[in-house]
Amino acid sequence: MKSTFALIRTTAGTSPVATALGLAVLAGLFLFPSFVQSPYTLHIMILFFLSTIQGEAWNIIGGYTGQYSIGHVAYFGAGAYTTMILMQYKQIPPWYGMLAGIGVALVVSLIIGSICFRLQGPYFVLASIAVAEIMRLSAINLKDITNGAEGILITEIPVFKIGNTVVTDFLSKVPFYYIGLVIALVTILVTWMVQNSKLGYYFQAIREDQDAAHSLGISLPIYKNIALALSAVFTSLSGSFYAVYIGYIDPSTVLNLDISVQIVLVCIIGGIGTIWGPVIGAMVLVPLSEALRSDLIAEMIFKTGLTSEGSAIGTFLKENLAHAHALIYGILVVVVILFMPDGVLGWVKKLTVQKGRG
Amino acid sequence: MTVLLQSLISGILIGGVYALIGIGMTIIFGVMRVINFAHGDILMVGMYLTYILFSTLGIDPFVSIVITIPLMFLFGAFLQKVFINRMLGAHPQNQILLTIGLGLIMSNTMMLIFTSDYKIISTSYSSESFNVAGISISSPLAISFLITAAITLLLYWFLLKTNTGQAIRATAQDREAAQLMGINVRRMSILAFGIGSALAGTAGALISPTYYIFPQIGGIFTLKAFIITVLGGMGSIIGATLGGIIIGVAESVSAVYISSGWKDVVVFVLFLLVLLFKPAGLMGKPRM
Repeated sequence: MKSTFALIRTTAGTSPVATALGLAVLAGLFLFPSFVQSPYTLHIMILFFLSTIQGEAWNIIGGYTGQYSIGHVAYFGAGAYTTMILMQYKQIPPWYGMLAGIGVALVVSLIIGSICFRLQGPYFVLASIAVAEIMRLSAINLKDITNGAEGILITEIPVFKIGNTVVTDFLSKVPFYYIGLVIALVTILVTWMVQNSKLGYYFQAIREDQDAAHSLGISLPIYKNIALALSAVFTSLSGSFYAVYIGYIDPSTVLNLDISVQIVLVCIIGGIGTIWGPVIGAMVLVPLSEALRSDLIAEMIFKTGLTSEGSAIGTFLKENLAHAHALIYGILVVVVILFMPDGVLGWVKKLTVQKGRG
Repeated sequence: MTVLLQSLISGILIGGVYALIGIGMTIIFGVMRVINFAHGDILMVGMYLTYILFSTLGIDPFVSIVITIPLMFLFGAFLQKVFINRMLGAHPQNQILLTIGLGLIMSNTMMLIFTSDYKIISTSYSSESFNVAGISISSPLAISFLITAAITLLLYWFLLKTNTGQAIRATAQDREAAQLMGINVRRMSILAFGIGSALAGTAGALISPTYYIFPQIGGIFTLKAFIITVLGGMGSIIGATLGGIIIGVAESVSAVYISSGWKDVVVFVLFLLVLLFKPAGLMGKPRM
């Protein structure tokens, strides 16, 4: 956590110490795989990058522009499916497939934008969900292209070469770590650029009062569509990355509405409309859901002695807690919305302000 | 011709239950301007309640609604009092997220208790049907349609004729004016969410003999509830009744004439078209 706050201060552009700390964190992230070999730790880090990319991407349309899309899984799925279909059936390597995925996601975002941006508030939310559901159902039904509900499984990823030098063969998790890290950094950089540009001010003006923004000459359809397209590009990238990393996709994993909710959750928990909010959200959510999945929480409960492993409640917890990670998501959403609607970041800020006054 | 008539009738029968789901959603929206994303999950809770009553006490699903209705009413009132009432003035998007969170809690709690296995309530009449002029009608669907119709009529009477019903409608029309007239709008909100939940729970009980019961079934019905309420016009009870039947018919006709895999897509496309060309819905401005 310490390092994150250092990063926050760096962006505020205050002390050189903070900048140095930020750079140290960055260097640490790049050197991380040379010190940590555990595939599981790398896996968690990769999931963390994925979550960050998705959160930052959603933040552009949801956080800065104020258009709560709960259909972002559409772009995630578009990226995942395009990359996998091209790789499996046309033997096109994923690094080109990824670009094609972006193209498809852009087209989808323009279609969705031109339909859904005529609607406001809750109607927009509903329309975005409907479009995502249409995509999921189409993926199930268009068996010739998507292999239907069975999904697509890839057995091997082509070796990545520049000239004749093999850069990576994708056999370990390390290449995925670096790809994830770079995409995450690029996404954060783009968000930062958006926030500090005229474009970002347009977005925020639309969020604050769309009629006022319109009357000041900001074209709503154009700028909303730009925000959505930007957001779709990175969400699609995360989809392609996820698909190649996991090696298997089907409609119920990459086009499931739960993913849309998770993406929004990352932002809500961290703090909507801030650069570091999604990073913090991912930092909270990923370890938490992994801890639940791997029964760490159950073991912690046993250690505190609240209940023993042998007892009826203990066995029940051990067997079922792993399936219930979404229960924690639900509780988190409710708690965050009720008690800290500005997310962890906003909550911390409020605390420090209060301390400063007192 | 028989095929068309057959699918029309089964569409209307299932549409009756959809109407019940939609009416619940529309009452909640009308009174509180909150879109309830947990509506399908509340329905799912109703299904499990019916399942428990059936498997432990052997109570017939259609009879068990006398227990399900009050319990689901209390459940909804509790949700409103503890969670939603705190959020009434908040940003609509945060209200949506709150109800999504509540829905997640419900479905995952059910998963913890009952696992995600499919449960079935098999009654003697589950797959029974009877013939009217060469058209076969499923008995459980026909019974549930009759119950739905009775409940809907009762609800119309309650909202139009009783004092409390009129107070609910007044709150829906203009919250502040209602408050000025001495109506306790918070109490009306609790009542409205209770009624909405009771209706969703009843719908869950009524479809439980013909559907699989599993914790994630709620999502499908939340989406259907939206489509129905938007189609009918948010806040309009007559609209939701019509919307439910239209969606039921659209589903069953497209299942026969296109394919059952695409029937939901047809419904979603219909939904988008309505959103685009008649966003106020069939019954125009929100009213009750």
